[in-house]
Amino acid sequence: MKRFILSIGVVAAALSFSSCSTEEEPTPSPSGTGTLSLNFDYVWAMSSMPFEMETVLYHPMTGDSLTYTTFKHYVSNVKLIADDNSTYDVPESYHLIDLMDESSTSITINNIPADTYKGIMITFGVDSARNVSGSQTGALDPANEMFWSWNNGYIMLKAEGTSPQSGTGNFVYHLGGFAGQINTVSERSFDFPNGSMITIDNNDQLNVTMQANPARLFHTYGSVSNGAMVHMPGPAAVMMTADFNSWVRLTDAQ
Amino acid sequence: MNRLLDSIKLLALAGGFHFFSSCSYEPEEPAFGFYPSRNFPPVEYSSPRNPITREGFELGRDLFYENGLSLDSSINCSSCHAQTHAFADHNVPLSAGVGGKLGKRNSPALINLAWMPQFMADGGIVHLDVMPLAPITDTLEMALPMQMAIDRLKCDSEYRSKFEKAFGTDTITSQRIFFAMSQFMLLMVSDDSRFDKYLEGEALLSDSERRGYSLFNTHCANCHTEPLFTDYSYERNGIDSEFDDLGRGRITLDPADDGKFKVPTLRNVELTYPYMHDGRFFTLEEVLDHYSDEVEPNMSHRLPQPLNLTSAEKEDIIQFLKTLTDYSFISDPKLAEPRR
Repeated sequence: MKRFILSIGVVAAALSFSSCSTEEEPTPSPSGTGTLSLNFDYVWAMSSMPFEMETVLYHPMTGDSLTYTTFKHYVSNVKLIADDNSTYDVPESYHLIDLMDESSTSITINNIPADTYKGIMITFGVDSARNVSGSQTGALDPANEMFWSWNNGYIMLKAEGTSPQSGTGNFVYHLGGFAGQINTVSERSFDFPNGSMITIDNNDQLNVTMQANPARLFHTYGSVSNGAMVHMPGPAAVMMTADFNSWVRLTDAQ
Repeated sequence: MNRLLDSIKLLALAGGFHFFSSCSYEPEEPAFGFYPSRNFPPVEYSSPRNPITREGFELGRDLFYENGLSLDSSINCSSCHAQTHAFADHNVPLSAGVGGKLGKRNSPALINLAWMPQFMADGGIVHLDVMPLAPITDTLEMALPMQMAIDRLKCDSEYRSKFEKAFGTDTITSQRIFFAMSQFMLLMVSDDSRFDKYLEGEALLSDSERRGYSLFNTHCANCHTEPLFTDYSYERNGIDSEFDDLGRGRITLDPADDGKFKVPTLRNVELTYPYMHDGRFFTLEEVLDHYSDEVEPNMSHRLPQPLNLTSAEKEDIIQFLKTLTDYSFISDPKLAEPRR
């Protein structure tokens, strides 16, 4: 039987691909680079009181009492919008926020090209390509237990806890899906407050503060008694993430 | 014969390359790597980040046979994917994981994975580089959280050394574990059955086998298409009128896909009994009886009516299917459990 060798071609392809991708990364501007500090605050419901883990929280719309033990979600593909509407796309921008780990709510991104910026774009969830590209590292490492092994794709948002309104006493929401109608990923664009433009010079730090609201998971979905477990892509995951993602706001930039 | 010629060409090429590169006359082994069969279509696996090396392959083989990747260190991949059975389980309908817990579907044979576009009977896994995650972490299988797998390997100086040889540093990550395992699994190529030799003019088929081949082409090859003996589609095979296991529908959420499962390869099918997604049929005779006489009306439109085969025809088809057994695959020392 005739055979031929592929391995040399594969190695060559690997080398050319890897060199291509580094070339595509934007080169630092001659005027230097600064740092972006992207901070997420979490508030609860209409009262905008601080959201706290492992604390009984009353949901004013559903009447549920909820105690969160896990709240993790992905943000990715951070882009800064310059005053000329061009964007700086942060390379390899995948971040897993885990509210049981306070440090993860503050994301530091170095090598921001010096420029004047007027806003920021953030993807809530993980873009579809990375859901189907095999084994990833860092925030996307499957060892983080945010990847469905049996139905490939990332759990974009994981919320777990207890509630007396749940039949089991627990709630488990593993929300994901990236394709077609079952899409839980959304990219949103935020202007800096009051139309402000912020110039980043060499070694400057740009501080952007976002606010998110875990009560929003239940805004349309309603009480946990409607179903205390979602663990696969589907309409419930789409509804809950859409309500969560659409509420997120930019509160400060300086 | 052709293979011999190719080997000579290959050696000449390697020798020529060597001559120009170093002017040394030491004999050189042929490059280690993936040798796709000439008769097979282009491979599906694509990971330019993961070129195959001997060291990576051997590490992947060690991991495939590593009991430490199960929670209680009792089982490894080969417990349910044994080379003697073309990397299917040892002829049980459902496989026992840690603590004897039974899985939900029949353990599939691992054959020609480089050509497989999706994995598992429902196709829920879309890349070979994340395939081992499911059996390693599933509580019905090896039940080991991935971080624990990484930590165990990190504690083993032999493994640290093997990762260094394979990937340049002794850092152990899930990605490196998966890359190494892919390198091993990609070389699970079965293309040397008696049927393959027959196509190359190097073996003969009996009258019964040739009649079986002809019947197979008429009745089966539409889905079990040469040369891989599957088209990797998802079809209803008419074994149930209602579906306890939604199969493909569980992944796509499309009710039209309920009860569909991936068309399996029939290479080495003699060795991989029992059959169907739940292992309900123990013999090829039962499978042929099913397609001949017993299919439910919800059967795939690609098999619109029962085949109505005579018993002689069934026997001929079975004789043909047994020509797909690849003894060099199931006895290949390269794929066997390494001695330690």
